Amino acid sequence: MSEHLSVAAPTWLGWAACGVGALAAGLLVLEVWRTRSGKAVLASGVAAIVALLLAIVRPERVQTHEVRSLPTVTVLIDASRSMALPGNEGTRFSEAQRAVAALADAAKGKAEVRAFAFGRKEPEPWSTTLTAVHPTSQLDPALTWLETRERSDALVVISDGRLDTPVPGTSRDALATRFKAFGIPIHTVNVVDDAPKDAHIRSVSLASTAVAHVPVPLRVEVGCTGGLSCGDLELRVRELRDHGSARDLSRGVAKVSGETALVEMNVTLDTVGHHVLEVSIAAPAGDSIPENNRRLFPVRVTRERVRVLHVAGRPTHDVKAVREWLKSNASIDTVAFFILRTHSDNANARDHELSLIPFPVDELFTQHLASFDAIIFQDFDAQPYGLDRHLPAIAAYVNNGGGLVMVGGPNSFVAGGYAGTALASVLPVGLESGSQAAAADVDSFVPTWSDEGRAAPLLGPLRSLSGDELPSMPGTNVLGALRPGASALWTHPSRRTRDGKPMPVLAIGEVGNGRSVALGIDGGWLLGFSTFGLRSGGRATAALWDGLLGWLMRDPRYEPVQIELAEECVAGEPVHLELRALPGLAPKEASTITIDVQQLDGSTKPLHREIATASGEGGARITFDAMPAGGYSARARFGNTTTVRRDFACEVGGQEWADPRPAPEHMRAIADAARGVSVSARDVKRIPLPEAKVLTTMRRDLPLLPAWVWALAAATLAGAHWIVRRRTGLL
Amino acid sequence: MARRVLRVASALSLAWFASIPSAAHAFGDVGAFEARPLLVGDQAGSRRMSALALWATELTNRTSAPARPKPREVRASDDALFDVPFAYWSDNRQLPPLSRAEVANLRRFFALGGILFVDDAAPNETGPGAFGDYARRELARVLPDMAPSPLAADHVLFKTFYLVQRPEGRSNNTKPLEVLARSGKIKVIFSSHDITGAIAKSPNGGWESSLTGGEPQRERAVRLLVNISMYVLCSNYKDDQVHAPFLMRRRGLTPTP
Repeated sequence: MSEHLSVAAPTWLGWAACGVGALAAGLLVLEVWRTRSGKAVLASGVAAIVALLLAIVRPERVQTHEVRSLPTVTVLIDASRSMALPGNEGTRFSEAQRAVAALADAAKGKAEVRAFAFGRKEPEPWSTTLTAVHPTSQLDPALTWLETRERSDALVVISDGRLDTPVPGTSRDALATRFKAFGIPIHTVNVVDDAPKDAHIRSVSLASTAVAHVPVPLRVEVGCTGGLSCGDLELRVRELRDHGSARDLSRGVAKVSGETALVEMNVTLDTVGHHVLEVSIAAPAGDSIPENNRRLFPVRVTRERVRVLHVAGRPTHDVKAVREWLKSNASIDTVAFFILRTHSDNANARDHELSLIPFPVDELFTQHLASFDAIIFQDFDAQPYGLDRHLPAIAAYVNNGGGLVMVGGPNSFVAGGYAGTALASVLPVGLESGSQAAAADVDSFVPTWSDEGRAAPLLGPLRSLSGDELPSMPGTNVLGALRPGASALWTHPSRRTRDGKPMPVLAIGEVGNGRSVALGIDGGWLLGFSTFGLRSGGRATAALWDGLLGWLMRDPRYEPVQIELAEECVAGEPVHLELRALPGLAPKEASTITIDVQQLDGSTKPLHREIATASGEGGARITFDAMPAGGYSARARFGNTTTVRRDFACEVGGQEWADPRPAPEHMRAIADAARGVSVSARDVKRIPLPEAKVLTTMRRDLPLLPAWVWALAAATLAGAHWIVRRRTGLL
Repeated sequence: MARRVLRVASALSLAWFASIPSAAHAFGDVGAFEARPLLVGDQAGSRRMSALALWATELTNRTSAPARPKPREVRASDDALFDVPFAYWSDNRQLPPLSRAEVANLRRFFALGGILFVDDAAPNETGPGAFGDYARRELARVLPDMAPSPLAADHVLFKTFYLVQRPEGRSNNTKPLEVLARSGKIKVIFSSHDITGAIAKSPNGGWESSLTGGEPQRERAVRLLVNISMYVLCSNYKDDQVHAPFLMRRRGLTPTP
């Protein structure tokens, strides 16, 4: 509690009264001096003026209770992943932790320190258990959040300077404008002084979507910091695959000049869908961060035109129906080879009278195989034409992302001698071999829609034309049981496979990186030309093939589920995948989603398997445990629909580790613009703390005398002065 | 060895079911070529059944294409018209106008992609005879937006299997084949050469007609029929770019890159 004298009148009135009083006193002195009227006039006059002044300002005692308040210092600690990189001692984040502790120690008794970690989202209260996991360092939104939530007297930002907002290089004026509104000084603490000795891939520029078979420019910026001697670094680009080893796409040399090197090259991807590319450098000895010598990134490959190889064992109406559909689709380039004459046929003509050309089997399946997006084998027997020696290559082609359709007929599947071959291993159905194996079932039948077939978007166009109805088929090739991950869309109404399930008639399946279709009938053309075809306007054949090829080419319209990464996948952190069913395919009741994640390193077993329940909207969010760095494929099966695949990449540190250089100059610029100081972590105690504030918590005004007493005294003394003046003859 | 046994077993099983007479279609046979004689109005039957059988036999002997040796007649008003996307129409006289049902059915047949081969069995020296004129007139009712146009010598029909110079049948007049086509797709082929007549057999097993050009002319007729079959089964396959250099070389032309 403290007490002091004050006045009740407003300050301005007090000053005005004092001024008038001083003027009156001066005039009085002048008058007394001129008239030599004596001390009594002067004394009574001054007394009257003073009494009037006191009556105006009314003196009082003021009792107050004051509290001394410590200033608040808010500390924002960068918790982005770049803070997990090496610092001066330990990681940059551990350096930040020590700096926070040191600052709190220095401020003990002088200031209150409140600390928050910032990154991508809103700042969160600081805790020593926090880790540097944020994918970005968003200082601007953190400041905005503080402006509305926290009152501070000073702000301290602890970071390596690699901020996403404001970005390094922002002008001082722009920074000053931004921080002026903040109104308090912003000090900065650099957690690392120098760039580490490190060779790294700073950036990879490649269109997120590439076109199959078309070279795509790839621009790689390589960095070499900390005085590491890099020279020429070998650079390699590979495509990660789940079947077999990674495929080399390109190689180059990064000639490091100064601290950077730029390598430009072209890569060509052959198959559609999501792929994971790996760009790596061979770093020299002394490299301190080996994790950023390798970058992984997903690329979606589409196509402008689909290139299809159509091989038919003999000309039939079914062959013509497929050909006419292929030729009617302007987005398809068709290369067709039909066997028009076998060795047993006698054309009764010399070669020059025939239009026949040799079937260039070796050339097609060695030189040109990779240039096709899909291959259709229709009623084709591999052996007589020397295709059997290329079957392993065709199987590898499918495993590497190609599409394959085998269409039925007397020369297809088991009857075509494919059982037990490499090609059979990439079909969605098994083929039985041995003398007891049946090649065909010759009884007429109407294929039955399976639940998967009804739900499959690839057959949606056909179902919209004909509903559940299908034409009668005059027999079918005998197909075996479904391979793992395959789906039967049409089945035989009575025939069973060895596992007791209905025999597939139309089956689809994922094989390695590719897809395949088995259509065990040779009467597919009856969908278009028949009394059944009349009811669908002859469009059903095209509807079927649109779906089959679209699905093979991973056209999103024919995928039942979309799989997306909810956020960037970073090694060592949980992975969140979001699944969404296509509109119209959302199950009315919750459905089961089985999702397998497999590493793209040639391993065949799923790394993770999760089973989730879809929401009423047909979506789900599934979280997987942390995974090591690498490429992955996620295969989701949504209820009864077909399997959908999405490849993605997980990196250590992600983009935040790509460039390990700190940006201390950016920290200095921020401090400069915000009237703060910039120090290194070890000098954090040099940060000036704001002054303590005094707060008045209680105030009591006690008048020295009542106002009327002051007024009476003033009137009395003014009257006395008047009497004295009369007696001295001044009036 | 096991593979060979399996293949033989498969072939036998396929041969067995292909021989089942009652089945309209059989597995492996469903897409086979069949020159089905089209009957309209009061037509009782085709005059050229022996030629159609021989056409099928020659097709299977000379090419890999499957064919039905015993074509089944089909009436233009019958739903059976939609069993096979090819029909053969021939006569030597003018027939009654197509009924409304026949016109409608034929229109649907063409709409689904069917092809009709009209072979005038009694052509004039200079062009179509009575049946040829009749067929053109009646098919104009079916496909009113199309008019017959001559088929150029370099059309794919003349190179689907054999390299054929010009149409020849029982008559070797110089009249070209004519077609009704839409967007390059042939709907109707008009022949004024009685091509099937060149290979028609008499009841005693001999040729029904002797030809001025002798057996070579008959062979050329067979080749054209084979080409028509191949067009029906492969469409314009031989127009694909991959065949171009081979075909130009064989025709004595210089391939262009």
